[in-house]
Parts: sequence; C-alpha cells; structure tokens
Amino acid sequence: MSVTPEKLLVVNDLSTTFATAGGPLPAVANVSFDLMRNETIGIVGESGSGKTVLSRTIMGLQPRTNVTVTGSVLLNGSEMVGTTESFKRGLWGTEVAMVFQDPMTSLNPVMRIGKQIDETLRVRLGMSKQDAKARAIELLELVGIPSPSQRYDAFPGQLSGGMRQRVVIAIALACSPKLLMADEPTTGLDVTIQAQILNLLDELKERLHMSVVLVTHDLGVVATRTSRIVVMYAGRIVEIGSTRDVFANHRMPYTRALLESSPKVSNASHTRLITIPGRPPNLLKLTQGCSFAPRCAYASDKCHQERPELQQADQPGHSFACWNPLPITRGDSAS
Amino acid sequence: MTDTTRPLLKVRDLKVIFGKGHHAVSAVAGVSFDIFEGETLGLVGESGCGKSTTGKALMRIVEPSSGSIELDGTDLTELKRGGRQLRNIRTRMQMIFQDPISSLNPRRRVKDIVAEPLDCWKTISGHERDVLVSDLLSKVGIDPAVYGNRYARQFSGGQCQRISIARSLAMRPKLLICDEMVSALDVSVQAQILNLLEDLKAEYGLTLLFIAHDLAVVKNVSDRVAVMYLGKICEIGPADALYEAPAHPYTKFLLGAALEADPDSPIHSQVLEGEPPSPMNPPSGCRFRTRCPKATELCASDEPLAQEVAPGHQVACHFPLSITRK
Repeated sequence: MSVTPEKLLVVNDLSTTFATAGGPLPAVANVSFDLMRNETIGIVGESGSGKTVLSRTIMGLQPRTNVTVTGSVLLNGSEMVGTTESFKRGLWGTEVAMVFQDPMTSLNPVMRIGKQIDETLRVRLGMSKQDAKARAIELLELVGIPSPSQRYDAFPGQLSGGMRQRVVIAIALACSPKLLMADEPTTGLDVTIQAQILNLLDELKERLHMSVVLVTHDLGVVATRTSRIVVMYAGRIVEIGSTRDVFANHRMPYTRALLESSPKVSNASHTRLITIPGRPPNLLKLTQGCSFAPRCAYASDKCHQERPELQQADQPGHSFACWNPLPITRGDSAS
Repeated sequence: MTDTTRPLLKVRDLKVIFGKGHHAVSAVAGVSFDIFEGETLGLVGESGCGKSTTGKALMRIVEPSSGSIELDGTDLTELKRGGRQLRNIRTRMQMIFQDPISSLNPRRRVKDIVAEPLDCWKTISGHERDVLVSDLLSKVGIDPAVYGNRYARQFSGGQCQRISIARSLAMRPKLLICDEMVSALDVSVQAQILNLLEDLKAEYGLTLLFIAHDLAVVKNVSDRVAVMYLGKICEIGPADALYEAPAHPYTKFLLGAALEADPDSPIHSQVLEGEPPSPMNPPSGCRFRTRCPKATELCASDEPLAQEVAPGHQVACHFPLSITRK
C-alpha cells in the first residue's frame, strides 16, 4: 500500500445512503476530493446539503444500521470505508479527530473537564495517571485556557461557550491527530469569540502540522481561513476550487446565489439582497437532472433531464457541475 | 418615510433586574433611546448583553424594574399588568421571535393562526375576516388556497417565519419588534425574509426594532443602530456612519471580528481578548473597561455618559475614537 505522501486524505466516489421509511435517502452522493498535508479545506453548504454527513462518513462515524456507504476514504494510506469499528477506533485520535458544533452536548456535563481529556490520553496512549494529568494541563494551556491547572477540575457547566469549545479542541488534539475535522466549530458562538477560536485553530494547525477540514454554512468563516473550498448542494459537490476561484470566478449559479444572498458588512444599509426562490430539495424526491435546476435562473431542458458531472474550469483544480455555467469573469487573476 | 421629529417609542432609563439581593442580575441596566416613526432601529450585541430582554421589556413580557416606555405618548409602565389598557396597546406593537417553529402551535391550521388576533379582538368576522387572512398570507408569499388549511408543523423554518409575520400584521400594528428573527434560517431563506420585511415595512408603514447579533444583517435592515454591551447601550448612530467610523472601542472590536465573505478581507489582527464579565457583578465605571485597551483610572471611577460625537451619533466613552471620515 502506497499513497502519494503529500495527500493526507483521498475521498473517492463516496456515497452515504440512509434507508428511511420514505425510501433510500442519498445524503452524500459521489463525492471525490483530496486534502494535502498541512492544508485547510472548507466544506460549505446550507442545512441538508450533506456536509455534516460527509464529515462523519470520513471519520467513519455513521450509524451501524440502515446506512450504506460506498466508495473510498483513504486516510494517510488506511481505508476507512468497510472496515471494522475496532480498526477505525485505532485511527481515531491519532490519525483523525473531530470537533463538533455544540460544545455543551459533546462534553459530559457531570465529568470534570480534566478527566475528559485524561480519558483519551490514558486509553489511547496508555499514559499513567500523573503523566496524563500533566499533559492535559499542557493541552488546556495550548488552547488558551487561563489558569489551566485550576480549570482542570472544572465542570463543563462552569465554563462559557467559547471556553467549552476550547476544551473540545484540547480533547481532539490530545493524541496529535494528522487530520482535524471541525464541524461548525464556531456556530453558536459570539463574533468576538468566533474570531478567537478561528485564530486558535489556524495557529494550532501551523504549530502541530495538521490538516483541517472546516465544515460550515458561513462563507465568511471559510473566506480567509482555507486554501480550497468545496460547495455542496443536495448531497453533491457542485463546485470545488481554490478559495479565490470559488469566491471570484465561480461558474456554478448556486455558488453565486449563496454568495450574493448573504448580507455584507461593507454594503450600505438597505441594500436589496439577491435571493433564490424556493428552498433546498427533498432528498427523497430527487429528479434525474441537476438538483438545483428548479431554483436556477439559467436552467434549460437539459438541466432537468440530465445531471451535470463535475467538469474542469480554466484554472487547475477548479471544477463545477453545471450545463449552463456563468461566464468567466476574470476581475483579478489568481495570484 | 422616517419622521425624525416625532418619536413613536420613547424609552428612558429602562432597567430590568432579575432576582433579588446578592443574586440580582441587572440584565438591562438603564437604557434610553427613541424610535422615530417609519424607521428601523437595529439593536446589536453579543449574547447576554440584554438585547432580547430589552425587546421583551418593551412589550412587558418581562416586567421592567424601572424607567419609562412611551408609545405614542402613553407610558406602558404605568398601565396595570394584564389590564384592558395594556392589552389594547399591545395590538399596536407586535413581536416576532427567533425560533419560528416553536412560536407557532404545530397542531393548528395556518389560517387559524393568522386569524387568532382578529378572533381575540372580534374586530371583524365572517367573510371579511377570511378575506383579510387570505390577503395577509398572500402578502407574505404563502398561497392561502393551497396552504391555508395545512398545519403549522408541515412547514419549514422559513415558511413558519412568514406565517409569524402574517400573524403579527393582522392587527395592523405600528411597531414591530423582531428578536433574532432570521438567525435560525439558512442564508438563501434569510435573504428572502429580509427582503420581505423591507417590502412590508414600506407597504404597512411599519416602525421596526430589529434585534440581532449578526452585524451584517442588522446593517442591511437598519436606519440607525444601537450597540449594547453588558446591559447598556455604548453607542448609537446612523447605520452607515456607525459602521464606517465606530466611536466606541467595543464597536470597533465587534466590527473587526465580523467575518466578511471575501478572501481579500483582512484576517483579524486585533482580536478582543477575554470574555464579557458576569452581569451579576459588573465592573465599576465603564462596563467595557476590563477588556478595553484604552481604559484608565477615570474609566474605573466614573461611568461615561452618552455624548454626541456627530449629529445623531452618541457614544458612552470617556475616550471616544476620532471619527474623522476617510
């Protein structure tokens, strides 16, 4: 087994389908992308676009029953799809770790935070009690928690939302993972705290030479923190490319709609927002055409009948799935 | 259009204190502002700053501890709680809440939800009532013939928020208090609701208090913006001017932390450190001084009063940032 050393993660034709009472629900369909070492990639999409299911499937965190996963996830040379849970357990923590959205529900409310970090260290790395405690305090310091040795004995409820998220990050980093999956890590936090956490993630990524997958609905979060962006709609990648290409030279109408419908601080007040009609499709009732076609201003008959595959744009690494792409608007060329 | 001479709502030194003695928390610690007829005042701040409590206190959903709230010359704080007069005046001010799904009864039909205020007040009935309800639903973009008989539980968040808006307009209120009304929605749906709100404001001649934490959303809908920190307003002014040249250090940090969907926007170099202090034990003097890089002894001893730095632009700071425009 050999894998190109620069690529830490290779996702190939990954699909996750849930069996529901209403029929098979394709939450993630035919997703392929890869991630370099020490790179941050952003996965953006609205609720129901499949971004969270995708990140959990990469981790191997799907439910045991009523789910079918096909395709391949190569993480540092190890295949995650179709392997046993005990095998995946061996990779969790040391190869890949995850930061979840809600720090209140991902921490145990009746367990001291220090113990929750210790647990990982002792089980995964076989550390002694004293060593684990010393390392846990180090980790708390690393994520910027003031007076870490006192906080070691605090319960999650005694910490603010931002501090709890720092603890969750400390747990994720406990076994020095090579890949950090961050699923909406700052949603629900105030803007000033959000800025602190995003800066922290950036700094830790550099210090610990990690790769980061940043999953979010907020385009502002990924704009300055990622080198590449994946845009998802109805379980599929509709556009992927360098952050600059996706923001400035996007070709898929949905990407443009997403960008234009979010209000901007730099716009004058009462600026009319550009909206897309309707809402994301029901994944149980997908048509054979492009999923965005019913809401798209550029849709033609072909869009309703045949699904567009990802095709290469003029910049390397930039692809989009659209029959009637937006014209190339090259304002400032990629620098 | 905005009539800047006649305030529709006059709030003076509004305080809301929860609990007693040592456990007292002053969620709103003396807030004063006017909302003029036809304008939108944005109220922005981080969680726990008291913005939602302010909104609820205006409706007397939570009881103000002191201060006055004058709507069109009537002081709401003097009216008897639960009395006829208060109920009467509430028809002229309506509130829209954050979670659109839990603010509608899932087991009621949409047209009955919208008709509820009309049935309560028995202003109109029969055919007239049905026509008005259909009209309101069409106005918010819900086809009454197709969806009128469906239950609230059958709708998505965005549609529920549309229904909430239709319900709030049934009594033809003058003032609408919107508390985080789009924060639970996806961006594409959020844009639809914000545009709808602007259209309805013009059509019904509404005056709005728009409470939200999202700086970009607040700027988009507001004529003036008030920034709250730990129970007090630290800065208030015209939306564009305040965003372009904030005078309070806190406003500047807050705007600096806002993320812009633009890869060329500068990365946060100056991040506000720490977290807001507990409102149970607020700092003496200026409430922001514990995190403010410019704080001096004066800030600890004396509370800064609101001073005017430009026409209509007030700031509560001893050392306001210079607001010379670029």
